[in-house]
Amino acid sequence: MKRLLARHETYIFGIIVVFSIIITAINPNFLTLENAFDILKSNAFTGIMAIGVLFVLISGGIDISFAATATIAEYLTVLICLRVGGSMLFAFFSALVIGIILGAVNGYLIDRFAVPPIITTIATMNLYYGLLIVFSKGRWIYALPQYFRTFADIRVITLYTAEGLPYGLSIVTALWFVLMVLSAGLLFYTRLGRSIYAVGGDAISAKRVGVSVKMVRIFVYAFMGAMASVAGIVQALLVQAVAPNSIVGKELNVIAAVVLGGASLAGGVGTVSGMFLGVMLLAIVQNGMTLMRVPAVWYDVFVGLVILFSVGSSSWKVKKEKVGTFIDIEPLSPPMVQEGGR
Amino acid sequence: MNRRTKAAVLLMLIALIAAPMVFAQGQKAPAGSPEVVTVVKITGIPWFNRLEEGVKQAQRELGLNAYQIGPADADPAQQVKMVEDLISKKVAAICITPNDATALEPVFKKAREQGILILTHESPDQAGKDVDIELIDNVAFARRTWDMLVEGMGPTGKYAIFVGSLTVPLHNLWADEGIKYAKEKYPGLELVTTRIPCGEDQELSKQKTLELLKTYPDLKGIVGFGSLGPPGAAQALKEKGLAGKVAVVGTVIPGHAAPYLKDGSMTKGILWDPKDAGYALNWVAKYMLEGGKIKDLKEVPGIGSVAVEGDIIMVNAMVDITKENVDSFGF
Repeated sequence: MKRLLARHETYIFGIIVVFSIIITAINPNFLTLENAFDILKSNAFTGIMAIGVLFVLISGGIDISFAATATIAEYLTVLICLRVGGSMLFAFFSALVIGIILGAVNGYLIDRFAVPPIITTIATMNLYYGLLIVFSKGRWIYALPQYFRTFADIRVITLYTAEGLPYGLSIVTALWFVLMVLSAGLLFYTRLGRSIYAVGGDAISAKRVGVSVKMVRIFVYAFMGAMASVAGIVQALLVQAVAPNSIVGKELNVIAAVVLGGASLAGGVGTVSGMFLGVMLLAIVQNGMTLMRVPAVWYDVFVGLVILFSVGSSSWKVKKEKVGTFIDIEPLSPPMVQEGGR
Repeated sequence: MNRRTKAAVLLMLIALIAAPMVFAQGQKAPAGSPEVVTVVKITGIPWFNRLEEGVKQAQRELGLNAYQIGPADADPAQQVKMVEDLISKKVAAICITPNDATALEPVFKKAREQGILILTHESPDQAGKDVDIELIDNVAFARRTWDMLVEGMGPTGKYAIFVGSLTVPLHNLWADEGIKYAKEKYPGLELVTTRIPCGEDQELSKQKTLELLKTYPDLKGIVGFGSLGPPGAAQALKEKGLAGKVAVVGTVIPGHAAPYLKDGSMTKGILWDPKDAGYALNWVAKYMLEGGKIKDLKEVPGIGSVAVEGDIIMVNAMVDITKENVDSFGF
């Protein structure tokens, strides 16, 4: 199992390398530190949401509402900050509280009423987003607090171009990396992390060995809400304006990136490093198209092909191996035990 | 506990269903004067909130019983229903920005049979209307945008175009007209790549600008349609120390563009004021209710001169948004 996963990541990594070589051959400006830092900064927002999505997918669920959660956390936090002042730390804290509450509501509803997560989160997405539009009347916020402006410009590493302009590793990229390291640690070295895999692999078996499926589910969706809220603040930092409709609609891109990184929609499978590579692959393809001077009408075609190619070829390999190693036997007794999740 | 939760859920549902209806009611004005109702595409977004201010101005100044309603989301079916309700209410005139031109045709016919005036906005090809009012002449609008670009970058050099998406009719019409115009008047301009669909997303516009700068280091200008293209481009330029060195023009919401115009990273914006649209619609409605003929119309007082083409009235109301006037719009 582990070797298989390792193989998927090396696989995605290989595709990234091939793409990078092609793009660089056409436009050498691609393979510069400056471009790399720019990509990492622009995609920190997607990347942070992807961490949450990864957790949800591993647990065997799915969440469509996280973009709405991110928007609400972003919007309310900025409103609160404008009203009562505060600081960047306070902004993150306030967003986290909102995100965790909204996420936990999802988790509770899914577990309590056993509604399929996709329906629950589509419903809560509409509910959250709808309420935001009703109460905000769609108003945009242009005047962010001053510390929002200065914080986004902080660089962890600063370099200078030939013309003497500063560039470097942005604070939001650093934040993304720290969150990834922490989540990887949580997934692999804690009981809770392993329980998430167990629940996603087979909830019934997990329950039998004493995992509290309910707590795991609530945790996973609350964690998703937390990541979404941080991403919301990052988005406000990047764009320097808050619009109630600027994040909603990006859900599928994030989910696609995570699945591209090897997480399974059936649950139980996925790693942080794979997710990172998935996000980067999509980012590089999008970045590369402009750099390779591809006309804009072809963008979507290209992205679609890359997703199909990368996901298709790696799961085809898995399929081949599986067919070679085990035979499926239909259970004769009534299927009270659901057929084994992977 | 269980019953109570159920009751609470039910109550919430009722509240949710009822709330939009309450919001859609709008306010009532003194009776007796002709009732002119403006139906917008969607309520609660800044654009139509601003349009409503024009409607309110018309109510105050023109002695009309004028007010605005609209569905909670851009739903053609709800607009049809609203028009039907207005017909049974026997209003004098309906001003409407259609969500779907064809869906509204039958009710428009019904309304006109009962002597109700139908005025449309942003729908010049609409069938079944009495008159359509546009606040800009699309060709002139595109040309003005390219003139602005040249003011910023000079008559020669490379530039790129952002649109909201490749299917937004207006953005692509402007782009087509602008490119045509540039070929005749500014042959030194060179479009580096086909139009890029990122203008409704600021973060994406910023990314695309960064990528364009790496691909075409001698890029000198960006035209952005869709109100988030120019701010995104301006942000990228600021980050790369290129503010003022690359010209950025296009459609923007003044309140959003203000910081970029003021620090010089955005050259100029262009737009029309939706408030003017709200006022002009009601003004023309009153004019026609009092027996005025469209073909005799020369100007809408306070808004601008008028060009009439068949049943389409074009009021010349486009405005340049510059760092000097950006704070005067109030939206």
